Amino acid sequence: MSGAFDWKGAAVPFRAGETVASALMRSGVRDFGPFCGIGQCQGCLVRVDGRVTEACLALCRAGALVQPLEARDAG
Amino acid sequence: MPDDRVIVVGAGPAGMAAAVALAEGGQRVLLVDQASTPGGAVHRAPLPGVAPLGLPEHRRRWAALVARATAQASRIETAYETRFAGVDATGAVLLTGALNRLLQPRGVIVALGARERVLPRPGWTLPGVMSAGAIQTGLKTSGEAPQGRVVLAGSGPLLLAVGAELAALGRPPVAIIEAARPFGAGALGLPLAYLAEAARYRLRLLGVPVLTGSRLVEIVPGLEAMVDTPKGPRRFAADLIGLHDGIAPNDSGLGGPCPIPLLRAGDGREALGARAAMLDGTRAGLAMLALLAGRPVPPEPAALIRQRAAQARLARIYARDEGAALDALPPDTILCRCESRSRADLTALGESPTGRDLRLTGRFGMGACQGRVCGEWVAHFAKTRDLGRPRLPLRPLSIADLLAVPAADTGD
Repeated sequence: MSGAFDWKGAAVPFRAGETVASALMRSGVRDFGPFCGIGQCQGCLVRVDGRVTEACLALCRAGALVQPLEARDAG
Repeated sequence: MPDDRVIVVGAGPAGMAAAVALAEGGQRVLLVDQASTPGGAVHRAPLPGVAPLGLPEHRRRWAALVARATAQASRIETAYETRFAGVDATGAVLLTGALNRLLQPRGVIVALGARERVLPRPGWTLPGVMSAGAIQTGLKTSGEAPQGRVVLAGSGPLLLAVGAELAALGRPPVAIIEAARPFGAGALGLPLAYLAEAARYRLRLLGVPVLTGSRLVEIVPGLEAMVDTPKGPRRFAADLIGLHDGIAPNDSGLGGPCPIPLLRAGDGREALGARAAMLDGTRAGLAMLALLAGRPVPPEPAALIRQRAAQARLARIYARDEGAALDALPPDTILCRCESRSRADLTALGESPTGRDLRLTGRFGMGACQGRVCGEWVAHFAKTRDLGRPRLPLRPLSIADLLAVPAADTGD
């Protein structure tokens, strides 16, 4: 299954089995803190449908709402 | 409640080999991994339809191990997308994610692999700067090289491997900056398999500048890599910079009291690379069988001892003065990425800060990574090994994950 998720109002396409970090990187998004790529540095924490997770570990789901951490902390 | 399984954490070469050794010895195993597929960092599974990137010899060795695991499917249960939060003093293992349980196994083998060392440098927190290993993980899964100009810098054979893989995917790096001078006569004492691998990488990198004895000393926004070479300064414009300064065991937070047998295996015990990790996984599996049966633990296999010697030689070939590089960092260089704490913030804690000073006042090692990234550098500047012991859980947990553990697991 492939599809797209929402990142700051834009649809980010992904391939079956891909992580959120991989899909964001391939779409040219690099400002979400990715660093170690293997779940250790915690730099790429995002919210996927409200739950905090490492973008480099979370698998993409079609229609998911993916937000930077600040999005809710600020609001 | 007690469980008759051994939990193996990490389904890379060490964890998979440990699971196979246990299952072939008649022991039931629960093999867990945070990723959605086995392989770990080194045998990272490509997405469906993507051709695997690794060298054929490595892929064959891994495929043979996976076949043995498949033959033991009745004894090896797997749980992917499942994270290990640690073992507590009662021997309870907390797993979260796809399998959300608090289990009481007979024993635990922890094969969490390596962490990638990355020396701090001015500008290393800018977007577009990642670890070289992270870039490699992306290549292995997607089969695509990142868009734009890539500069790889730091030290170690991984820089050549990633560079060669970028080249194989049609986008060679702009430059590889290597702090050591690894291509001298000392390299000739390495095992043939290592030399053949290096030769293949160098062949793919024809035309790519590999600057040895050189350091990336600053990254300026925009993105530009400022490099000190033996012939003077150079600068490389880049869209993505991959940093790497070797690997070390990913063992943070382990080592508290534990009433059940707990063994480490692979790079998480001693960072000796993929060949050794598989051998060490088998060793750990056999050792666990012996411990559970009250038999003497068998000695390390000779092949593992040979790999250790080869890695020691490799380390000598890649010798460089990291202390000098750290001591040359400007005061405002960020050391702790989680909490944005600089070298000057650490100096402000006084001449010989205690672990308590470093954590409570300095906030070093208190961020979400629990010091995995900065701990080594903080220890260097604070001239101490006492950074305060990391505590369970091994990684940040959400309350939702804790609440999702079945009540039957938690007893009263």
